[in-house]
Amino acid sequence: MGFQFDISFFVYEIGIAIQYIPVVLLLSIVPLMVGLLLGTGIAIIRLFKVRALAQLFTIVVVFLRGVPLLLQLTILYLTVTLSFDSLAQTLDLNMTSKDISYTLIAVIGLSINATVYLSEVIRAALQSVNSGQYEAAYSIGMTSLQMLKRIVIPQALPVAIPLIGSNLIGLIKGSAIASLISVVEIINGTLFEANGNYKFLEAYLAAAIIYWALCILVERIVAFLETRVGVYGKGGVV
Amino acid sequence: MENIFLLSLFIDCFPKLLSRLHITLYIVVIALLFGMLLGTYIAVVRLYKVPVLSQLATAYVSFIRGIPILVLLYIVYIGLPLVIGAFGVNINRWDTMIFVMIAYVVNTAAFLSEIIRSAVAGVDLGQTEAAYSVGMTRLQTFRRIIAPQAIQIGIPALGNTIVSLLKDTSLAYTLGVIDVIGVIKAISSNTYRSLEAYAAAAFIFFILSSILEQCFNIISRKLGIKGTISGQG
Repeated sequence: MGFQFDISFFVYEIGIAIQYIPVVLLLSIVPLMVGLLLGTGIAIIRLFKVRALAQLFTIVVVFLRGVPLLLQLTILYLTVTLSFDSLAQTLDLNMTSKDISYTLIAVIGLSINATVYLSEVIRAALQSVNSGQYEAAYSIGMTSLQMLKRIVIPQALPVAIPLIGSNLIGLIKGSAIASLISVVEIINGTLFEANGNYKFLEAYLAAAIIYWALCILVERIVAFLETRVGVYGKGGVV
Repeated sequence: MENIFLLSLFIDCFPKLLSRLHITLYIVVIALLFGMLLGTYIAVVRLYKVPVLSQLATAYVSFIRGIPILVLLYIVYIGLPLVIGAFGVNINRWDTMIFVMIAYVVNTAAFLSEIIRSAVAGVDLGQTEAAYSVGMTRLQTFRRIIAPQAIQIGIPALGNTIVSLLKDTSLAYTLGVIDVIGVIKAISSNTYRSLEAYAAAAFIFFILSSILEQCFNIISRKLGIKGTISGQG
């Protein structure tokens, strides 16, 4: 038996995979935004050592960072589907667990995951700014908002941007795991087409090409942004 | 309302899950060992800009780092028998574990090669020149000057990669490997419940990655390295 690879079906599958790019973006961009927002909150709470909350979030972040995304998503999925029916009954909702969108569960799960990692990124970025910078800004009479806008953020961004970029790549690749809780994204979408002819290799390779293209795109955007925000980091004297 | 979480079952799951822990650790150790070998080779090829091989290595690293490990597992599992079958060798009967190992080695090698490459590139060129100027040979320069500094740069990223690798092994079950995750299916078909088993697995993975992180913290402190932030993926 020679090596059998159906090029035309592979090209067809790439077309199918492209159609599912919006689902991947939904599963990665939305968690990124949620993660940036909530992550900043958690980072600030932990940096300023807000009582009780800081300890709580430290435990949550440390725990979730040690648990594979697959388990986070599966546990969330099982908890929601198992508790939804009785919850809907008590609330008199005319819904069962079969009506819940798997995509929504995946988006929530990935958002929780992104929040955990991005809170660490933002914490590190804020910590990278020397405390003398804060003191200097206050000493010349800047308000907290002015200090953040003019002093802290311009110095923290060059640290944060590459890390946010690698987290976005992590989320794009992590969205593949959503296929295991029956979300129809690139993998399940292309596999569905291959169910009739068993050409699964073509399906997986097409999915791989699209994931690769998305990751390269993100890398390029990050590299571009880095040159833009890096202007403050240039050494030398004026 | 029926109970969605049974604490007694959660505790009962631990012995069953831990009895398959060696499979998970086996995958991690093999992937690290062979990944380090292949990764070093790729890094050397790229650092010395060996023609053709260097471009191939760059494409390999970019591709592997750009695709989800789940996709890579299936490409190796389905694709390798086809490719090798084209040369007239039938490997369809190989143990699934071999394909899983190959996938994780291929994946880990790409990530480790990047760490080694950027660690060596991170050592100032002046260090090499200074070593040459005092008459050190190439090997001496690498062993006494470059390697100690590169290790300092590379250790935190290496720690993160190993923790990610450990968490990534949770996907090996998709090919039918009965590791810590794979055994959950057996538990849930006996008890008709799976949430407890998944929670127990999450706990085991948390403990394992904490141990790994602590080990690397100790190594970093011994080497005098400041901490870094772990990434995803």
